[in-house]
Amino acid sequence: MSEKLSSKIGNQEKPVNKTGLPLDYGDTKITILPRDPICIFAYWSISNEYIDKLKQQYGESVFADSKLVIRVYDTTDISFDGSNANRYFDVFVTPKSNSWYINVGEFNRCWCADLGYLTKDGKFISVARSNKVSMPRYGVSNITDEQWALLQIEFEKLLKISGVNQVGMSSFDIAKLMRERWEEIVSISLPSSHSHISSSSSSFKTHPSYTPENTQMSENKEKSFWLRADTEIIINGATEPDATLTLKGQPIRLSADGSFSVRFYLPNGEDKYTIEAVSSDGTMKKNITFEVKKDTK
Amino acid sequence: MNNKGYWCLQLHAHLPFVRHPNYPDFLEEDWLYEAITETYIPLLSVFENFIRDNINFAVTMTITPSLANMLADPLLQSRYYAKLNKLIELSEKEVIRTINLPEYHSVALMYEQNFKNCRRIWEKYHGNILTGFKNLQDAGKLEIITCCATHGFLPLMTNETAQRAQIQVAVKDYEKHFGRKPNGIWLAECAYTYGVEKFLKEAQIRFFFLESHGILYATPRPKYGVFAPIYCKNGVAAFSRDMETAHQVWSAECGYPGDVDYREFYRDLAYDLDYDYIRPYLHSDGVRRNIGVKYCRITGKVPLNEKQPYNPEWANNKAKMHAENFVFNRTKQIEHLQGIMQKEPLVVSMYDAELFGHWWFEGPNFINHIFRTMQESNASFKPMTPVQYLDKFPVNQVCQPSPSSWGDEGYYKVWLNPKNDWIYKHLNMAADRMVEIATSNQSADGIKLRALNQAARELLLAQSSDWAFIMTTGTMVEYAEKRTKEHIYNFTTLYNQIKNNSVDESFLSNLEYTNNIFSDIDYKVYINK
Repeated sequence: MSEKLSSKIGNQEKPVNKTGLPLDYGDTKITILPRDPICIFAYWSISNEYIDKLKQQYGESVFADSKLVIRVYDTTDISFDGSNANRYFDVFVTPKSNSWYINVGEFNRCWCADLGYLTKDGKFISVARSNKVSMPRYGVSNITDEQWALLQIEFEKLLKISGVNQVGMSSFDIAKLMRERWEEIVSISLPSSHSHISSSSSSFKTHPSYTPENTQMSENKEKSFWLRADTEIIINGATEPDATLTLKGQPIRLSADGSFSVRFYLPNGEDKYTIEAVSSDGTMKKNITFEVKKDTK
Repeated sequence: MNNKGYWCLQLHAHLPFVRHPNYPDFLEEDWLYEAITETYIPLLSVFENFIRDNINFAVTMTITPSLANMLADPLLQSRYYAKLNKLIELSEKEVIRTINLPEYHSVALMYEQNFKNCRRIWEKYHGNILTGFKNLQDAGKLEIITCCATHGFLPLMTNETAQRAQIQVAVKDYEKHFGRKPNGIWLAECAYTYGVEKFLKEAQIRFFFLESHGILYATPRPKYGVFAPIYCKNGVAAFSRDMETAHQVWSAECGYPGDVDYREFYRDLAYDLDYDYIRPYLHSDGVRRNIGVKYCRITGKVPLNEKQPYNPEWANNKAKMHAENFVFNRTKQIEHLQGIMQKEPLVVSMYDAELFGHWWFEGPNFINHIFRTMQESNASFKPMTPVQYLDKFPVNQVCQPSPSSWGDEGYYKVWLNPKNDWIYKHLNMAADRMVEIATSNQSADGIKLRALNQAARELLLAQSSDWAFIMTTGTMVEYAEKRTKEHIYNFTTLYNQIKNNSVDESFLSNLEYTNNIFSDIDYKVYINK
């Protein structure tokens, strides 16, 4: 990427010194978030004070003798009080970790989690209890509403037309599509053509970002000698700042001081280029004509 | 022809709040400037021409609060105007440069005309194009809906008061810009989770949109699939997405935007012209980057240097052809559905607005031709907004929608994965803390009031789903991380100062000046009830 951390240009002001973010907020807490119908993301922290408290209560060796565990409770259709879960399972997490993705293994349920330590003798020391989450549903509901019932066969037709198997098409997909298109272009572009390739790093948040260098096929060097040349013509001059100026009838913009400069491609052959200035009140006119011949050999 | 059904076009116009007054020239502000030139003004222009030509149309469009705040901001307005004038200057030079290059001259003329049309519309609304969109809404042709205040991703917010605040702040901001309450909302990333509808009901919002499986997986089973809205138990309606129209536009293989006659996005003039000539039109650091002037068509699967010149007439013909194809396919689809459903179906097509114009240059013209074709061919279906539908068909099935989003795989993993999951610890903590300080300072005044309001702004800005999204897609990641950290840092600093009764006035003033979104925000929206 051609621009690094800060995208400021014309660094007039020093950015405010940022200390970054804390690793945690010194609290003892576990939070769970649903990622999809089958997966929960859990993050947590345990304060030093809490660790000291545990040591006091269970002895210095409490951490050596136990494992950090997330106990996940199925709380579907119940008011969970800590002991009435439909079932639970334990996820062993590494001691230094502070977040984990948990596959809950079953669709359409509600969950709650405890962060805690499981001791050698199987005792669970709960440290913190999470919020509760109801997972996104997966699959078509088998509950039907009598008042709104439709024949099964008709409903299946509708489901198919509704695109039940084709979820997701959004800005994320533009990003993917545009990236694929770009990669295709890069893959078929020869190294000598790379000067034409656009970097796109400035362009919208969904945009794949590449620098022109990416498109150089590193090892594939062309050995044949080559030469390329072409011509452009530049016409410059000046007139009264408030005059109207044209070149071959096309209006030309004047700078504030009345000067102008235009350039354009010059093809083979002969041509006349007439510059005409007309005074602001339209009463005076001047023109200059250049006859130009280009003969490429 | 007899009417067989309805079609609802929903365009989601959104950009995150990017505004850097301390720097004269800031790269990411280009997102806004490019979108104004390429998408927002062209769409506005298409809609205004419908009115002029008496073409019947109905379009639903989100203008997110963060986008509305940028469009209404005088600093960004003046910066855009200066950018546009530079582009016009370049396009005039280009008309001259190409006088002996007939195959490029017509494209150069097209850009000159487009940019000048932009300036004409921009000047007509004195730099605030929201007025143009508002007029269309007041004329009953456009339904402008709101969105979560800063495009916050509601399902990953653990604090309900913070979820509610995203809605409340949005609705208040909408009233300021559009002079009435919003009828509908686009939940950021189309992400729904249980309970959101109670905040919508409270804000008198009548409808929202869902990804298709948000309704298909609803309980009980939705009788009409995605082809009729459902009501949540509290009476807020949910409209869901038709995938056929989504794929027709998006698909890599058969989607319209990849046609050989359409403009090639990746061949930009900034790389083609010699450096001295193009230098004045680049950013002040002089690095070649896209400037949004592109002279080639997609051509086919060829390298960039073999792309052929763009032909505006061919492209227009293709856009018309594709629009006719789209209308034809809808006619067939709607007739088929009506046969199964025994009632008029509603087909909802929803897209990112920026797809039209920015990514797909001919997109606004495609929309133009759709409505004209519908009218001219007397199509058997009518365009409709969700409110028009609900007024005509007030009886709908009551269901519990399923949590979902329109991201990859349909749930939340684009916004929650190992690339960005670290942000939620901070976002949820900041939200809890905001509720804490609002609740313990229920009638703040003076500098504390200002600090509480600014803390709310910083929290909201940190919550933009765009940052998590960018971290996942892998482009401009450092900017997204920086923004997340910066707003959390600003919030935390204010939080500590408020708690210690030691607000630093200069720190606060600087933030008020820089992050000035929602100028009349009221932190009391975070008071725990």
